[in-house]
Amino acid sequence: MKTTFISTSYISAATRSSLMKVQAELAEAQKEMTTGRFADVGKTLGFQTGQSISLRQEHARLTTITETNSIVSTRLEASQASLKTLVSSAESFVGQLLASSIDGANASVLKTQAVSGLDAFIDTTNTSLNNAYLFAGVNTDAKPITDYYETPAPANKAAIDAAFLAHFGFTQSDPNVANISAAAMENFLDTTFAAEFADPAWTTNWSAASGQNVRNRISTNELIETSVNANDQAFRKMAMAYTMIADLGLEGLGDAAYETVVNRAVSVSNEAIYDFSGLQAKLGVAQQRTTDASERMSIQLDILATQVTTLEGVDRNEAAVRVYELLTQMESSYALTARIMGLSILNEI
Amino acid sequence: MSLSTSLSTALSSLATTAEQTSVISRNVANTNNPAASRKSAQLVTIPGYGVRLATVNRVVDTALYNNLLGATSSAAGQDAIVAALDRLERTVGDTELDASPAALLQKFSDAIQRYAATPHDTVAAQSAVAAASTLASSLNEATALVQGVRAQADADIASSVDNLNSLLERFGKVNTEIVKGTRSGADVTDYEDQRDQILLQMSEEVGIKTITRANGDMAVYTDSGVTLFDKTARTVSFQPTLTYGAATTGNAVYADGVPITGGNATMAVDSGRLSSLVTVRDNLAVTYQNQLDEIARGLITAFAESDQSAVPALPDVPGLFTWSGAPALPAGATISTGLAGDISVNALVDPNQGGNVTLLRDGGIGGAAYVYNAGGNASFTDRLQQLYDNLNATQAYDPAAGVTTSASLAAFASSSVAWLEEARNTAGDEAEYRNTLLERSADALNKVTGVNLDEEMTLMLELERTYQASSKLISTIDSMLATLLSSVG
Repeated sequence: MKTTFISTSYISAATRSSLMKVQAELAEAQKEMTTGRFADVGKTLGFQTGQSISLRQEHARLTTITETNSIVSTRLEASQASLKTLVSSAESFVGQLLASSIDGANASVLKTQAVSGLDAFIDTTNTSLNNAYLFAGVNTDAKPITDYYETPAPANKAAIDAAFLAHFGFTQSDPNVANISAAAMENFLDTTFAAEFADPAWTTNWSAASGQNVRNRISTNELIETSVNANDQAFRKMAMAYTMIADLGLEGLGDAAYETVVNRAVSVSNEAIYDFSGLQAKLGVAQQRTTDASERMSIQLDILATQVTTLEGVDRNEAAVRVYELLTQMESSYALTARIMGLSILNEI
Repeated sequence: MSLSTSLSTALSSLATTAEQTSVISRNVANTNNPAASRKSAQLVTIPGYGVRLATVNRVVDTALYNNLLGATSSAAGQDAIVAALDRLERTVGDTELDASPAALLQKFSDAIQRYAATPHDTVAAQSAVAAASTLASSLNEATALVQGVRAQADADIASSVDNLNSLLERFGKVNTEIVKGTRSGADVTDYEDQRDQILLQMSEEVGIKTITRANGDMAVYTDSGVTLFDKTARTVSFQPTLTYGAATTGNAVYADGVPITGGNATMAVDSGRLSSLVTVRDNLAVTYQNQLDEIARGLITAFAESDQSAVPALPDVPGLFTWSGAPALPAGATISTGLAGDISVNALVDPNQGGNVTLLRDGGIGGAAYVYNAGGNASFTDRLQQLYDNLNATQAYDPAAGVTTSASLAAFASSSVAWLEEARNTAGDEAEYRNTLLERSADALNKVTGVNLDEEMTLMLELERTYQASSKLISTIDSMLATLLSSVG
């Protein structure tokens, strides 16, 4: 007679192997419960791991660009502040000039004001942030404008003096300056003097700045100019206006020439102020674009983080329930094993 | 029938019961040995004598046993693949750790972006070059790891072959005993158990088929039909390779002089550890190495410098990343074997080797003609922006790398991770399935051929009664004979 047969070792092997499986699952479920992510992300996601890595790459990329944007914004803000200072100094300088031409105030007072104005202008233009000069274009390790009042006389001062001497045949401090006619002065201002603020004299004597502006990547595919440089017309004109009053022997000029110089200084300053506002607008646009890009990226970052969590994340509650169920399963398995092992014919014979 | 005949019959019963008891105790001893099968004593009745133990049989189920052999081979093979893939995965780690070549590539690209934001800052330059060094050394380490996996697989093949040879030798001895024993009618069941056990061990190494012949003799073939044992054991041979480079090719395994692994083998085995180890050594690890090599090639290409003269005449040369073949560039869209182990940061840029980090911004690593920042400006970013764009630009890759053929470097690196994890995922699932199958087969066989303690105990009770009855018979016959003798005397 063939009866159903079962071996003793099979009975114990069955509970043993199921216990081992449950224990392995328990270890995984515990890890998932504490971390909130799959125990072995790669193995669980398979080819989708590539997607997870790509999302993380994109997240890192945008985070970095957002960080660098704040550096860019800081620089733009500092540049704007400097430009604002330059404009307000220019405006008060124009005010002084106009006041002097109306009431004929002391020329030497005006000159003193221009000298300090020029000094302040050069100082502000040479502002640096984190060891980089703001208005130097890409040549940020070079001071953009040569200090006019250094000793010995720097190239720009020497060149102006030489130009004056060459044009009139005497220096600015010579008593002969009183004899310069308005027309002669006008001629000088239009030709020899103007040439000192045009290339190549400007870039040789005055400015070490590069005409190329700094460019920054402010989002994955936006590469924009984020600086203005001292070679811009605004800077040249402003330097020209200050120098006119400060260093053309103003105090010794005859009334007509004096009038010409002051009038010219007013008009050049006003042009400079107008040009500065153009630069401010340009930087303002860059600031706005940077802020916009950062805002856009912060939204993208949130979405990316959510996507990563969706891919890799595990519902902690679900994992907790799983742990609980597995524990129950193990307990009943233990109880069952004990009962089965207790069952033996040996107890009965 | 005489009393003496009855006496001798009762005696024969006692002797037989003793022998049956010994079979039962053998069974009880083997209760927890899954490899042993249940034995049962076959009795014959001899006219005029009583009973005698004819043979000891063991319970066999050939179909279940052959299932088990197959399941053992396929599970052992898949386990070897899973183990190798797990080792390869150490190049990636958890996605959260950002340790994969893909993640390091991104970190490097971010460092370039930071440097481009503050190009005058030497610290930013150093951190970009440091990120490049980390990336290059992670590729070097990954190559070492992949080649380590191959060398390990080769060593495992060698020990698998050794194991197989010693198993075949033992198999030969046991088989001889069985043939001899069967001829002389001895109890060979324990030998048969042993032989089954050896076959199971063999099937872990290589898939096998068996043929049973007269007198219990058995011949063993690989699943592809190459003889492993027929009357005598055949030699399985393998020449191990001790060190592995990316270009190293491992040797094939031969059985009975016939190659049983590798592309040229016409009778290649297709299950068992041996064949999986060869797959790991010659396919999986090689493909992964190819992917690493393509990442390295993509990096060298993306950072190559071109002649900046007004009339460019010089060829492009490696820039930040270089290799042993410099100043040439590795050929485009073609795997350059072992490049990932060879790539390094150019000494001219590496501050640890006395290099100048700002060359990353200015160019000119390849010589004066390759200087991009002709004005020497501190905030020159054109080259850095170009490098950043190159890193994110689409490149072409060798289809032999087994992943995408056209993608950005970052996307290629992440699809390499995807390839590896997908392999782990499917291999893991497959291993789980095959192990369950193995467990079921083992259980099914064990369930049928194993020992049941309760049954043995019940049999024991019966034997006890028989023994008691026979003893009682003897004493009764003795008293009958005594009665007879006293009446005679």
